[in-house]
Amino acid sequence: MLKKKAAVASVSALAMLGLVAGAQVASATAMRHGAAKKATVTIRFTWWGDPVRNKVYNGVIQAFEKKYPNIIVNAEPTSWSDYWTKLSVQMAGGNAPDVIGMHQFYVTDYAKRGQLLDLTPYVKDGTINLHDFPKAVQDSGKVNGKLVMIAQGVTMSGQVYNKTLFQQMGVPLPKLNWTWDDFIKEATALKQAFTAHGMGNDHWGADDESGAMQPVFNYFVRQRGKNLFTKDGKLGFTFSDLKAWFTMWDNLRKKGVIPDAATAAQNSTASREQSLFVQGKVGITAIPANQIYLYQTDMPNQTLGLVGEPMLGNKSGAFVEGAYLAVPKSSKHPKEAATFINFFINDPNAGKIFKIEQGMPGSVKIDKIVKPLLTPTQQQEVAFIDNRLKLAGVAPNPPKGYSEVATLFTQTAQAIAFGQKSIDQACNDFLKQAEQILGK
Amino acid sequence: MLQRNSVRLAKHAVLVVLGFVMLYPLLWMVSSSFNEDTEIFRNVSLFPNAPTLQNYVHGWAGLSGVTFGRFFLNSFFIVALCVVGNLIACSMAGYAFARLDFALRRVWFAVMMVTLMLPFHVTVIPQYIVFNHLELVNTYWPLVLPKFLGVEGFFIFLMVQFMRNIPRELDEAALADGCGPVRIYWYLILPLSVPAIITTTIFTFIWTWNDYFSQLLYISNLHLYTVALALRQFVDTMGQTSWGALFAMSTLSLVPLFAVFLFFQRYLIEGIVAGGLKG
Amino acid sequence: MHTRPGAWKKHAIGYMFLAPWLLGLLGLTAVPMLSSLYLSFTDYEMFNRPQWVGWQNYTRMFSDPQFLDSVRVTVTYVTVSVPLQLLTALAVALLLNRGVRGLGVYRAVFYVPSLFGGSVAIGLLWQRLFGGDGVFNHILALFGIQGMNWVSSPQTALYTLVVLAAWQFGAPMVIFLAGLKQIPVELYEAATIDGAGVMARFFRITLPLLTPILFFNLVMQIIHAFQVFTPAYVVSNGTGGPLDATLFYSLYLYQAGFVNFRMGYASAMAWLLLAVVAVISGLLFATSRKWVYYNE
Repeated sequence: MLKKKAAVASVSALAMLGLVAGAQVASATAMRHGAAKKATVTIRFTWWGDPVRNKVYNGVIQAFEKKYPNIIVNAEPTSWSDYWTKLSVQMAGGNAPDVIGMHQFYVTDYAKRGQLLDLTPYVKDGTINLHDFPKAVQDSGKVNGKLVMIAQGVTMSGQVYNKTLFQQMGVPLPKLNWTWDDFIKEATALKQAFTAHGMGNDHWGADDESGAMQPVFNYFVRQRGKNLFTKDGKLGFTFSDLKAWFTMWDNLRKKGVIPDAATAAQNSTASREQSLFVQGKVGITAIPANQIYLYQTDMPNQTLGLVGEPMLGNKSGAFVEGAYLAVPKSSKHPKEAATFINFFINDPNAGKIFKIEQGMPGSVKIDKIVKPLLTPTQQQEVAFIDNRLKLAGVAPNPPKGYSEVATLFTQTAQAIAFGQKSIDQACNDFLKQAEQILGK
Repeated sequence: MLQRNSVRLAKHAVLVVLGFVMLYPLLWMVSSSFNEDTEIFRNVSLFPNAPTLQNYVHGWAGLSGVTFGRFFLNSFFIVALCVVGNLIACSMAGYAFARLDFALRRVWFAVMMVTLMLPFHVTVIPQYIVFNHLELVNTYWPLVLPKFLGVEGFFIFLMVQFMRNIPRELDEAALADGCGPVRIYWYLILPLSVPAIITTTIFTFIWTWNDYFSQLLYISNLHLYTVALALRQFVDTMGQTSWGALFAMSTLSLVPLFAVFLFFQRYLIEGIVAGGLKG
Repeated sequence: MHTRPGAWKKHAIGYMFLAPWLLGLLGLTAVPMLSSLYLSFTDYEMFNRPQWVGWQNYTRMFSDPQFLDSVRVTVTYVTVSVPLQLLTALAVALLLNRGVRGLGVYRAVFYVPSLFGGSVAIGLLWQRLFGGDGVFNHILALFGIQGMNWVSSPQTALYTLVVLAAWQFGAPMVIFLAGLKQIPVELYEAATIDGAGVMARFFRITLPLLTPILFFNLVMQIIHAFQVFTPAYVVSNGTGGPLDATLFYSLYLYQAGFVNFRMGYASAMAWLLLAVVAVISGLLFATSRKWVYYNE
């Protein structure tokens, strides 16, 4: 008897579940759009973002829906750490949103497996207008000659330094165009100053960047006239490049200019707020320029400076980076998705809301509109990107298996740092394993 | 006398130290939740320099206009259904495996154990495809339905172990009184399995509440977000992590878990009192 | 037996009670499981049509240094953390298994660490406790001992996760408590009248009657420990570093599938693990007849 009751209760609970879940979605949509308006198409849009960033994106969506009342955009943001896992499952399940935030380091995974729509037809028929996009920026969205993504914002890598710390220690400041020799000199001078002030124990000149295949090592090999990968997806650099790189860092480590292996390892997994740089324990670290405002927010009592990646002679090796928008092939509303992307990158209202949330706007026109609206830190960032962009080329897209190689690179760096392998052996092992990964 | 006192003192000292070790994360989290964002990683003491409620205000405001009130309701809703589902399905299957005799019983039991041994990451995509075909993505069905169908073998095995331990003579007596297997299940086995039922309730509650992975994959609509999912959105390595809000809402999120545990754990021990088992 | 009228009823009732689970197995569990078994013999990159490659994924594992690292790490973790966690849980459960007022608070205190699950906070906390200038080193310094960076040194990183497991012993503790509750009080009363002491009662009553639960905890902890994922994911930020020191089998499997898009390979890893765990569990079940005492 009682069991029957329980069964009835559970069935009705399940029924409620469906109703409630359905009703919530319906009412949420109705609330936003009113019953009278006839909505023709709903598209879904996902991006990575924190609650603060999400407000900006939501603002752009609202402006879009105002201008295009027949298209509804469902916002589905996810934080960066979960974004790619969720997206890959949605893609594999055939249920990806119509517009997706894309990143240069990840685009290969999707584009080379044929998951992204070639947007060229929508550029040709005028749905997406790229007239105000510099060629380097347009080209940075191409994979295998197909335009698979369009920049929300353009950024360039650089080295941020703690100006306050340098001044306190009486060390001359790094210059915008500096070389690896300058880098070594500056970092060493800072370390010596720390030691002289009795802080040498847990203060270092620069971060250990030896494990960063992207972007710093990429700059390094491009300065030597090469690339990380060749066009046909093989390794683009050789033993001597690798050895020069790891030897440089190993010397710095042995002199105590960069942190010891364990400290560096912890730093590489720590959150930004807990990083050595934010704690004021190292003077220099590599960042994408558009993140400088985050560091400045975390370090309110310090002044930060931004300089380029160190060069080899006058060769910069610079390349365009950024955050992009893409449309999956599975989208049932590619036209509307393209319309949304066009609004996102070209509409002055969208520009005023979005500003430089993901770096400098791709469109030169929007850039002009946005510039006067920026804070001093943001202006510093845009000036830097503007300057670097003149040097920049386009780096070839990495092949499939790229993320495995990047992991292997970090491990190789750690194996050397912890003294587990000699530099020669580590480089040889790396080349062998990387070729195995890429050969597959 | 003196020696006995010092032994007692030492015992207490050990307990206090151990308790502190156990509680340290909680104290740290609660204290951090009253700290300003920038202070959280600088302040090493367990006491905030300038206590503020700002994190609670800011955190409760939630995501894009949906407050944590909604996320809590959603979590409670899912958790309640999952508890009911697990209790029904797992106790039934546990009873069948532990007390009934039917064809292929051992085979099915082995199959059930094997389902526990496959790392879940490799079934994520096929499962997602199934639910996508059923058009159930972005509803609670993928989170709740599996519990009503006894997918969590852990609890079935738990029920089996407890039910096997109930003396057989009781069944025989009940049978002699004319009770069928259904009545035995309801009037005899379930009441004697209270410890297993309580354990299942506590664990299902806490684990479902904390399980963000399936919620992440299946829930995209902000209005359907749960507490665990919303908390993850505060952390973003590519942006601004609201640590203060994260700690404040994590603290609030622990309150129901703590309450449920405190409420139910009593049922796990009372039986002993009469026995007067003294250590 | 089959000829006896009503014998079918016995089976019907059994299957009636098994029905929800059986439905779940056929409807929700079996298809994904079997498809992952199929995928383990294919080259499947999540988005492409799977290509049959035979045993290639399985043979590839043994020349994959990261795979071998992950096996080493996981086996060490299982052998150290399972006994440690079970003994802690059993000891604390026995201590707290009394209907004395106020003990409930203690039980709650000991369960607190388990409430956190895989929260982001745990990752931060472990860095804070066992990092270079962490709390643990400050305590060591009080005794004049020079500490080190425990979470980020290859020799010690895994053991900080063992500590984490030992600290989150709440689940087996609760199950032990539930098992102790099920032991009939009369047994103790009778034994006390017979003049049995504390130790005698423990070894003659508590322990034998607790064996089904002990067995449950042992089997489940082993299955879980082989699949352990969250602690390393949270503490090492998903990397399994430094130098693969915390690269649990499941973490590498996750990386292989969701980061490197080798889902076929990940599936093969999953089924190999299943085979190993199934053999170990099978052995445990076989021996259980010798030492697990059911009151039936």
